[in-house]
Amino acid sequence: MAEPKDPKDMATSLKSNSAPLAGLEFDPSACGVLTAVRAEAYQAFLDRGVPTTKDEEYKYTPVTDLADRYFVQGGPVPVPESAITEWIYGDLDQIRIVFVNGHFSEELTTSLRGVEGLEIRTLSCALGGRQEIIEDLFGKLVKPQQFPFAGLNTGTFKEGTYIRISANTKIEKPIHILNIATADANGATQYVAPRTLVVVEGGADATLIETFATYGDGPSFTNAVTEIHIEPNGHLQLVKVQQEGLKSHHIANTEVHQAPDSAFNHYSVTFGGKLTRNDLNVFLDGQNIHTRMDGIVVIDGEQLADNHTRLDHAYANCNSFEVYKHVLGGESTGVFNGKIFVHQDAQKTDAKQTNNTILLSGKATMNSKPQLEIFADDVKCTHGATVGYLDRDPVFYMQARGIPKAQAEALMVYAFAAEVLEKITVPGLVESLEAMLFAKLNVQ
Amino acid sequence: MLRIDQLKADVENKQILKGLSLEVKPGEVHAIMGPNGSGKSTLASILAGRDAYEITGGSVDFDGQDLLEMAPDERAHAGLFLAFQYPVEIPGVSNAYFLRQALNSVRKARGEAELDSLQFMNFIKEKIKMLELDQTMLQRSVNEGFSGGEKKRNEIFQMAVLEPKLCILDETDSGLDIDALKTVADGVNALRSPERSFVVITHYQRLLNYIVPDFVHILMEGRIVRSGGRELALELEEKGYGWIEEELATGGRA
Repeated sequence: MAEPKDPKDMATSLKSNSAPLAGLEFDPSACGVLTAVRAEAYQAFLDRGVPTTKDEEYKYTPVTDLADRYFVQGGPVPVPESAITEWIYGDLDQIRIVFVNGHFSEELTTSLRGVEGLEIRTLSCALGGRQEIIEDLFGKLVKPQQFPFAGLNTGTFKEGTYIRISANTKIEKPIHILNIATADANGATQYVAPRTLVVVEGGADATLIETFATYGDGPSFTNAVTEIHIEPNGHLQLVKVQQEGLKSHHIANTEVHQAPDSAFNHYSVTFGGKLTRNDLNVFLDGQNIHTRMDGIVVIDGEQLADNHTRLDHAYANCNSFEVYKHVLGGESTGVFNGKIFVHQDAQKTDAKQTNNTILLSGKATMNSKPQLEIFADDVKCTHGATVGYLDRDPVFYMQARGIPKAQAEALMVYAFAAEVLEKITVPGLVESLEAMLFAKLNVQ
Repeated sequence: MLRIDQLKADVENKQILKGLSLEVKPGEVHAIMGPNGSGKSTLASILAGRDAYEITGGSVDFDGQDLLEMAPDERAHAGLFLAFQYPVEIPGVSNAYFLRQALNSVRKARGEAELDSLQFMNFIKEKIKMLELDQTMLQRSVNEGFSGGEKKRNEIFQMAVLEPKLCILDETDSGLDIDALKTVADGVNALRSPERSFVVITHYQRLLNYIVPDFVHILMEGRIVRSGGRELALELEEKGYGWIEEELATGGRA
């Protein structure tokens, strides 16, 4: 790398650069205390540019057409409460913070105060005068050189969420971050850069839901970054739901750091979006860590969903379980790349990765790449990938009992997906997600 | 109720049914017997609507409708039920959910109100007892991990719930011990009525000791070669299928 530059100079020099994404520029005057770190991250994006399919990590996921768009970062236009019913999972009891076009929406947000052990506030508010957030937490987990869109997010986000769960506290209600992108009146692509920073202190326990949705029928580009620090013996369940419209690009980078004895259970649900790319990276930084990262993708038409995951087993006696399931209809494309690194000291690692795909159409494509790199010798690591069509016998059996074919197929898909959905320990949420699944499959 | 006329069907370009005719009237119980490979299960599958067969001739009329033009679920709605020889396992779908979906699909087609889960549970309570099924099976995945006997009892249980007009039992006796056979037969007999007909497909006459047929047909090489009363089944039991083959070969009963 080149010798470090003075961030201030860099911020100035950036201004003269033409941005690779029209309409998105780095504005140092809006960055306050974070100017230096944000400028540096944005520079990493500029250096790297928008990846092409020649880039191994984007081989099956073309994002270059983003460079032909014009982007706007629109204002906080009003979204009626009636419009968000589905995205807030009906009457699911929750602590909810809502952003519209990346701006905090006070009207749609529930009360964020008064929950013992929970600090939840906008990032701008939290950053004001909180030196430890700036010095120890913000941006410490993202790697803009490797993940250029994380650099873009760091340079361009308008607002974000800061969540801290106090030590030895269990937050009963799920914490829900809802990000809504609205259609731009002039047809430009609405750009939103959600940014989330989560700290689960020692012995704390919480569930976080991240939902991404669009309002109106316009193109959008969501470029999200979530950084999660789980301290010793902390527990976090994270449910990510991608329900954006079919004109939306969605690129998200979730970085998780787990301290010893901690547990992280992640469930990614992708029904929406024209193109969805999730990079989920979890670093198991200690012994006796449990990690689960599961995903269910149900897409059709010309949708594409790409899940890139990386697990780093750095120390001994940890286990990780990963199940990604895809149901691909129409001419849709699924991509799964699961990296598991078992470092030299990570003896007695128990890592299991599974990737199963059902193709509902002869024109759908799945690209699956398990990638296990094991440098310790006393470990249990397995992986398996299957791709196949829906089993005809059960469909015929159900039809013979009077269940119409489309519904029988939907039931089969539901049963396939349920293995992931049923692990989510938020009951009302599971039912809502199942209803969304059936809606996606066009059956009741 | 059911009129099969000169039905011909191929599987992978091999003719399996070679002009099969059969008429079943309301309330009748017909047994179809025949050696392995005679086309018994093919007939059952074609009636239920499995699409692995090519119909090359003949017709099937079910209550005035062209059965062969109907989708499998439409056949079920019209009142046709096939008890499978090999009931299919459906991991991840509970029996209760599956059966309620099936019942409500059928009820909807009949113009009846759909049942919610409570009404459904009340509706099936007696039927579960009759088939000596364990209540807990309702929460288990359809047929998954069921013993052979449980699977067959589950078929008859589904039949009892869906209340079809025409029940086709495809080798329901295969793999059953005598106790399970009795339970299954009791279940079937309880469903016999002047409006409901049965076609019992079997290799052995044993089942017919418990489900007593009005008519017995012998299926060989894709067509019915002999029909008679119950005594025909007993004759088969005594002499096997060989004597019919011989008679056919020599034209003894032309």
